[in-house]
Order: sequence, then structure tokens, then C-alpha cells
Amino acid sequence: MIEASNLTKIYNQGKRYEVEAVTDANIVAKSGAITVLVGPSGCGKTTLMSMMGLLLTPTRGKVLVENEDVTSLSDGWKAVFRRKNVGFVFQHINLLPNLNAIENVMVPLLCHDVDPSKFRQPALQLLEQLGLIERAFFRVEQLSGGQQQRVAVARALITTPRIIVADEPLTFVDEESAKTIINFLSKLRDEGKTILISTHASNLAKFADKTYLMKDGRILD
Amino acid sequence: MKRRFQNLLSYAWSCIQRYRVRTLVVLVCLSVAAALFSSVSFLKDGLVKEGELSLRYAPDLTVQGISAGRQTFIDSQYAGIIQTIPGVRTVTERIWGYGNIGNTLLVIVGVGLETLAVDPAVAYPLESGSFLDSQHNDTVVIGRAVADLIGAEVGNVLTILTESNQARQYKVVGIFNSESAIYNADMILMNKNDARIFFDVPEDKVTDLLVYTKDVDVLYYEAQVNYIAREISELPNVRVVTKSVLLKAQETTYGARSGFFSIVWYIVLISVAVVAFNQTVVVGHESKFEVGLLKSLGFSTSDVIQIRFIESMTLGVIAGSIGLAGGILYDTLLNAPVLRDFMLGWAVLYPNFVVPIYISAQTIFFTFVITTVPLLFATVVPSWINATVDPDIAMRGAKA
Repeated sequence: MIEASNLTKIYNQGKRYEVEAVTDANIVAKSGAITVLVGPSGCGKTTLMSMMGLLLTPTRGKVLVENEDVTSLSDGWKAVFRRKNVGFVFQHINLLPNLNAIENVMVPLLCHDVDPSKFRQPALQLLEQLGLIERAFFRVEQLSGGQQQRVAVARALITTPRIIVADEPLTFVDEESAKTIINFLSKLRDEGKTILISTHASNLAKFADKTYLMKDGRILD
Repeated sequence: MKRRFQNLLSYAWSCIQRYRVRTLVVLVCLSVAAALFSSVSFLKDGLVKEGELSLRYAPDLTVQGISAGRQTFIDSQYAGIIQTIPGVRTVTERIWGYGNIGNTLLVIVGVGLETLAVDPAVAYPLESGSFLDSQHNDTVVIGRAVADLIGAEVGNVLTILTESNQARQYKVVGIFNSESAIYNADMILMNKNDARIFFDVPEDKVTDLLVYTKDVDVLYYEAQVNYIAREISELPNVRVVTKSVLLKAQETTYGARSGFFSIVWYIVLISVAVVAFNQTVVVGHESKFEVGLLKSLGFSTSDVIQIRFIESMTLGVIAGSIGLAGGILYDTLLNAPVLRDFMLGWAVLYPNFVVPIYISAQTIFFTFVITTVPLLFATVVPSWINATVDPDIAMRGAKA
């Protein structure tokens, strides 16, 4: 379970262009459930998701994982926490250029004390489950947006994290890819993973176990 | 941990391979800079060493005759007078000049065997044959490079043209291989009397007198030489050149060369700075994004710094090695075209002069410093700065 407790993020605090992107957000994403955060573009979803994935330090408030405050961890320990527990899927996909699909999937393994070659088979299995086995050795530039996002999902899962944070994972993908990703996330929910997804469209809400609405940086009751 | 380091190593290597254009630009620029720097440094160090060698056996004072302000022969009777000056150890008469073998101009030095101040076995170590002796006339000992140039061996007879176009013949009795490349390149040694005949020098004259002083404490050396120089200057129609004046002349020569060396330094530094700037600014956005992404995937700040460090060190060491190899090949195999003419000045007139190069650990060290340190600063420092901010901020900043 991951929980946001009064999370607030103010960019450029004390400066001329100060922006309060998220204000006192409180949400709970339970294990074995899909939690969806719905809101229009620019409402602060990405900022909130980044804070919950420990990619961004909040100005105020806490992120609790299994009731343990992880916001107070040092930079080094946050990296360890992300490495072991969090798989992040970005809105803008963010694959590494000039690498092929399977190499991108295996990148997170490189900061673990493991032999990545032993994870080749699991990586191929993930790509197969996401319908990309025939594109496993295609370079990123040779894949469509939807295929790239599926590679990004596989990359988020290669280290078998218990928390999956997906920021607008369906924004730049085609219908078929969206369907594959949703089905796959549903399967992960059944395996007991904690899944937190943000979206600006409500089409994902029907798969959600819990939905939060967000507007102007605030979670609506 | 060992496995993790191997993973970071393989990721760094994959970065080098992935960004081929960037890698190629960095490698080419740094390799050329390293080749230029090492090539000029090897040459400069070689010339300095050559200068030291040529002065090693130089007399403390050289006395020349002058007439109407121009150098001329000097009366050999001055040798006896100079010998009486306090502080003088020995005075050697020397007759020398230039002679032609075919179209090759060579230096012919007449050696006064009875008054030799330097051990010939040290100054002119024989490679084959024997040294000159006073019993045999019309014999010569030649430098290794001279022998190679004219294809002579011990036992051959050389025909050398005098200034009056008379052909004189000398038997080669020995070939020496001195530490000094200049000695080897153009020197023919013969008995003083043979040289007198060859250059048609009057019986009571010589080309110059070489004065060696007594050993004194280094503190008093200059004072002793200056005193002897003053005493000799009292003699009519003479000019005295001290070792320190020769040294200054040499320093002036190398000074001009080192001016060129400074220019090369600036060129190298500017090239490296441009590469470093390119790495920091142009590649900066790309790198910033990658740092943010890697951190979001679980890499720590130290992982990111290690990756960039390995990447830059690998590129720097490869570029340094290519540059060093290029510099050495350019100086040795190609005999340093263009640079040779500039760095050697008058010495290129020597027919078979091998460019003296000296490969020092210092130059090798500085070459690698040039190719690695700026690159490390240009990549590791920005990566470290990017890695210390939140991954989200790093990625957003890169896209901004």
C-alpha cells in the first residue's frame, strides 16, 4: 500500500514565478488494486505521481509505504527504494534511444547486483505478454508510439516491483496497445501489485478499484 | 558489488557505442590534440637533450682569431700563453671546417691527439674499427649516419673534395656512434695535421683554441671562467666565447622554438576546451535527461557518476593512446615532416640527420592529462550536478 498524506508541491518557492502544483493531496493506493487518478491536463497529476514514485521531493507532506514514511529517506536510500520497489511508466515513454527493445527493458537491472544475461528470458516473456516478441530486437526508433509504451511497461516490471506508478500511460498509444496495457495491468493487480495510474480521460476509470478526481492541484472529495 | 560494477561498466561502454557521432568527434579532436602535443613535446625534449649532449664535451672557453671583426685563424702560439693563465687546465688546438663528399657537405674536425682533453672513447664511442693514432696519416673516423649516407665501412677509402677542388683520399679506420645525433650525422674526425693539409691552414695557425679550466667549486666556476676570459681578451685579435654564452645562444634558439611550443599548447588547449564545451552544453540536455531517467529507474547518484567517469576515462585514454601512437609514428617513421623543418632550424641542413626525439614519462603523463581531465570535468561535474537534483526535475529541465 502506498499513501499520500497532505502532499504539497510548490515550484520556485519564494520566487517571482512561484507555482503551487499540488496542494494537500491525500490518496491511498492499496495492494492488489488499481487506483486511478483522473483530472484534466495541467491539474498536477504528473507532479503528484512523481512525488509518490519518489522522483520528486514534496514541499510538504509525506509518502507512506506500508505506513512507513519514505519521503524522509536520503537521496541514496530513495534510489535504493525505487530500485527495489517501484516501477515507473512515464507519459512521454522515455526509452533510451539507439538501444533495442529488449536492451531498454533490461536497463533497470544494471544497477542491481545481478547478471543481466540471466534476465534475458524473463524480459522476452514480458515482451511476449505485451505482444512485442517479434519486435524485441527492433531499435526504439523503429517502434510505434504504442509499441514503445509497451516496452516502457515491460521495463517498469523487469525488476518485479511491488508498486507500479503509471503516469498517463495511454496518452500516446493506439487503441490496440491501450487494450494490451490495460489487460496486463489488470493481471498484475490480480497478482497483488499496488498499481497507481493517472489519466486525463475517464476511460480507464472502469478498470479502477478506486478513483480519485483531481483539479487545480487538489484532490476532490 | 563486483557484478554491479561490471553492469555499470557495460552500460558506460554501451553509451560510447550508442552515441557514435559524439564519440567519433571527441575521439578525433582529442587524438589530434594529443598527437600534436606529444609529437612537438618529443621533438622539443629531443632537441633539449641533444643540446645537453653537444655541450657535455664543450670546452669552458673557445678562443677564435678575428681580423677586421670577422673570424679568422688564430696563432697557435697563443696556446702556450693561455696555458700560463691561472685556472687553465689544458689548451687544445683545433682545426675544422667543411668538406664535400659528392654533393654532401660534412664537418671535418682535426683532432690534436697529443692534447685531447676529452676521452674519445666517451665522446665518440666506436662501433667498429679503431680510433685515430698519430702513426698513421690520411685516416678518418666517421659518424654512423655519415657511414650510412655514403655507404662506407671500415677499410673503405673516401674521396673528399677540398675548397680548391682537389680530391684527397682517406681510409676509414673506425665508425663511431655517439649519443649525439648531430655528431653522428655529419662528423668526420682526422688527425690535426691531415686537417691542416686539407684546409690549407698555415703551420703556425689553427681554427680555434679550446680552453678547459681547472676543477673548482661550482660557486667559483663562473668567476674563474670570467677571469680567464678577461685575461685572454687582453691578447690582440682574439675573441673569447664561454660555455655560458654558448648555452645562452642555445637557450635563445630553444626559446624561439618553445614559443612555437607555446602556440601548440594554446591550440591543443583550445581544441580540448571546444570539445569539453561541446560535451557540457550541446550534449548537456541529452545527458541531463539520461541522468534523470537512470535515477528514476533506480540508479543512485554515485552509479551515474561512475558511469560518466568510466565513459570519459575510456574515451580519454583511447584518444590519448591513439594520439601518442600517432605522435610517435609521425616523429619516428615519417621523420616529422613540417614540424622537423621548423623545430630543427639550421640542423635540417645535415644530410642524414635523424630527428632527435625523447619519449619521456612526463610527456606521456601530460598527454593523458590533456585527453582525460577536461573531458572528466565536462561530463562528470554536470552529471554530478544533475544527479543531485530530483530525477523528475532533471528530466523536466532537459526537456525545457
